[in-house]
Amino acid sequence: METQSNSAGGENARNESGLSTEAVLNSLKLIFAGAPLSEVLTIIARLVEAQRKGMLCAIWLLDKDGSHFRCAAAPSLPAAYIAAAGGLTVGPRGASCGTAVYRRETVYVSDILTDSLWDDYRHLALPHGLRACWSRPLLSSGGAILGTFALYYREACHPRTGDVQLIENVSHIVGIAIERHMKEEALRRSEARKAAILDSALDCIVTIDHEGCITEFNLAAERTFGYSRDQVLGKRLADILVPPSLQDKHRRGLERYLATGESRVLGRHVEMTAVRADGQEIPVEIAITRILLDGPPSFTGYLRDITQRKQAEEKLRRSEAFLAEAQHLSSTGSFSWRVATEDITWSAELSRIFDLDAPLTLARIRTRVHPEDLHVFDGAVDWARGTGNDFACDYRLLMPDRAIKHVRVVARATRDQNDQTEYIAAVHDVTQSRLSEEALDKARMELARVARVMSLGTLTASIAHEVNQPLSGIVTNANTCLRMLAADPPNVEGARETARRTIRDGNRASEVIARLRSLFSNKSTAMESVDLNDATREVIALSLSQLQRNRVIFRTELAEDLPTVKGDRVQLQQVVLNLLRNASDAMSAVDDRPRQLLIRTERDDGHRLRLSVQDTGAGFDPRTVDRLFDTFYTTKQDGMGIGLAVSRSIIERHRGRLWATLNDGPGATVSFSIPLDPDSVSDDHSVGGIRTAAAANAPQVMRNA
Amino acid sequence: MSLARFLVSVVDDDESVRESLPDLLKEFGFAVQAFSSAEEFLASDYVDQTNCLILDIAMPGMTGPDLQRELRFRGKEIRVVFITAHRDESVRPRMLELGGVECLLKPFSDTALLNAVNDALGIH
Repeated sequence: METQSNSAGGENARNESGLSTEAVLNSLKLIFAGAPLSEVLTIIARLVEAQRKGMLCAIWLLDKDGSHFRCAAAPSLPAAYIAAAGGLTVGPRGASCGTAVYRRETVYVSDILTDSLWDDYRHLALPHGLRACWSRPLLSSGGAILGTFALYYREACHPRTGDVQLIENVSHIVGIAIERHMKEEALRRSEARKAAILDSALDCIVTIDHEGCITEFNLAAERTFGYSRDQVLGKRLADILVPPSLQDKHRRGLERYLATGESRVLGRHVEMTAVRADGQEIPVEIAITRILLDGPPSFTGYLRDITQRKQAEEKLRRSEAFLAEAQHLSSTGSFSWRVATEDITWSAELSRIFDLDAPLTLARIRTRVHPEDLHVFDGAVDWARGTGNDFACDYRLLMPDRAIKHVRVVARATRDQNDQTEYIAAVHDVTQSRLSEEALDKARMELARVARVMSLGTLTASIAHEVNQPLSGIVTNANTCLRMLAADPPNVEGARETARRTIRDGNRASEVIARLRSLFSNKSTAMESVDLNDATREVIALSLSQLQRNRVIFRTELAEDLPTVKGDRVQLQQVVLNLLRNASDAMSAVDDRPRQLLIRTERDDGHRLRLSVQDTGAGFDPRTVDRLFDTFYTTKQDGMGIGLAVSRSIIERHRGRLWATLNDGPGATVSFSIPLDPDSVSDDHSVGGIRTAAAANAPQVMRNA
Repeated sequence: MSLARFLVSVVDDDESVRESLPDLLKEFGFAVQAFSSAEEFLASDYVDQTNCLILDIAMPGMTGPDLQRELRFRGKEIRVVFITAHRDESVRPRMLELGGVECLLKPFSDTALLNAVNDALGIH
């Protein structure tokens, strides 16, 4: 059996070829009046059904997936069939509608019972008494398939003359209705989207027309300016948001643009002042764009309240100003240094201290470092690169005008998220304090020297006085004695008396000397258990600032688990202090090599401890070594020459010995070795003790092999 | 001996000087009195009789120059020879300025002493 045909014929053929003009116009009216789509389509379906007896009309819309249908209007089809037809899919054997869409042409099935196109769907239709179905695809103006227009009969039925025309005409109107509805839908969605965007925008969005009247005012604008949208729509922007002082300018700007197309604000970010409903003026950042439409121009302004940003900027500016001023007042510059990239950022004060303009680099900074201190600078840089640890160092700068500056650098290492090292550092110009320190030191040294000379003078005067008294007696008595013996007759008895007095006065002079000696020799030594390392650390703590001032690189090697020694803690500390000072002083003229000082404690042979102080100083002349430990022998301008002698006598009182050696390299090492318990050392083996001091003065000096 | 009519007083806190000096002065022929302090001398009966004063400069209590000033204040014109164990170059000119006939630095020779005392007494 022929399953389909475009030819018209059959018993039910009618003469009417389409809808009445009135019916078409009515539907179009409905369409353009914006009635809901389902209503319009239902009316059209009923109109069509009214044209043919027994005809059931349905309009199916194609789903977005392009293969299923949903019902847009089917006023007379059984609801159960409408629901069942949801399972119908587009395809070459997709009943009437599915095949029509598939073929993009009208499909006429005269008898569902026999037509193979319905093989898969027959069971859906027959129970509802449907026997024939003609379906035409609905095309959009662009050619896309929107759905189908389908006509059903309860009996097998061929289309007749007029039916084809009817289907064509109705399909056209239905297509218009659907397409128009979809466009409206899209527009509505876009409007809703725009409204959502406007309202969710963080920035204030205000649009104005060419006369400066507000046409849009979003939620953010309402919140920022304190007006509701309804209050401001249609009002002039200048009257609402522009402060009185700027209203003229605003008006002129708008007029100029309209007249010449010139604008100073379009397409740029501009900061200006706006006014709120409560009269408060606020700083805003504004960007204005022209809306590109036909007709007179209109504009959209994007405004942002930048009060907080302004405040933050002001705060930042103030704190930067404070910092700069503080840096200037304290002569402290700062910089950060990314070790990996060599990036350096620096403060203005740092530029001032180094007298260098941007950009600062390590290489440029290095050119300012005093040649004699380059090893300090390079050492610090190497340390930083090598360890990534904090560091601090002092060095001098040699400025272009030959002036010398002293700077102290304290740097703290930080790690960024990529574990790269960045140093944050302060550079303190300590020239002033260093100069005054040096002046103070000089004054102190001078004073100490004067005091020493004075006290030495006083000392010798009192020694002379004490000795001269008996000497005077001796001389006078001797003179008297001679005169008595020379007399005639000689006064032998008187001479004997004066001679006796001479002897007595001689003894008296000797007593004076002995008394002086006992005065200057130390009184009883306070023996206690002394931790030599502890005692040494205390001395180091006391000497640290002086060592630093002398730019001495200081190192200790204090042996662990040293036993305590029996001795006078304070006296031993005096010795250590004296050795440190000597070593530091010996290096004060050294500028061509690091001034290194090593203090070491260790166990020595035979229950003894040894402490040595090694320097890289001038060393000593082996030929004058005999005098090194002599009292009053000094090579130093400010030395009294008693340091080593006193040290030696203290060590000897501890039954130890003190000696000096020249290093293999530059400098000397002065060491002492003392027994753990002086009392356990027999006099025979001791080199110490005040009684043997004279013998012990033989220098114990040797060169290191 | 004619010189014995001259009384030379020695004021010194040092005992060995007080013992030795008078013996030597007696050997020269002078009459001698020794005092251990300026105060002792002032309190004695010999102030008016003393023709020459051998005066130690530094003494506990009243010093040599103090005593000289006191004597002048009392109108006693006694020629003074200062002696001192402080061998300071500046002492002698200062003492001569104060009106001392001589200033001897201990220890001094017998001739230096004799010359000074003779000068003080105007003996040539």
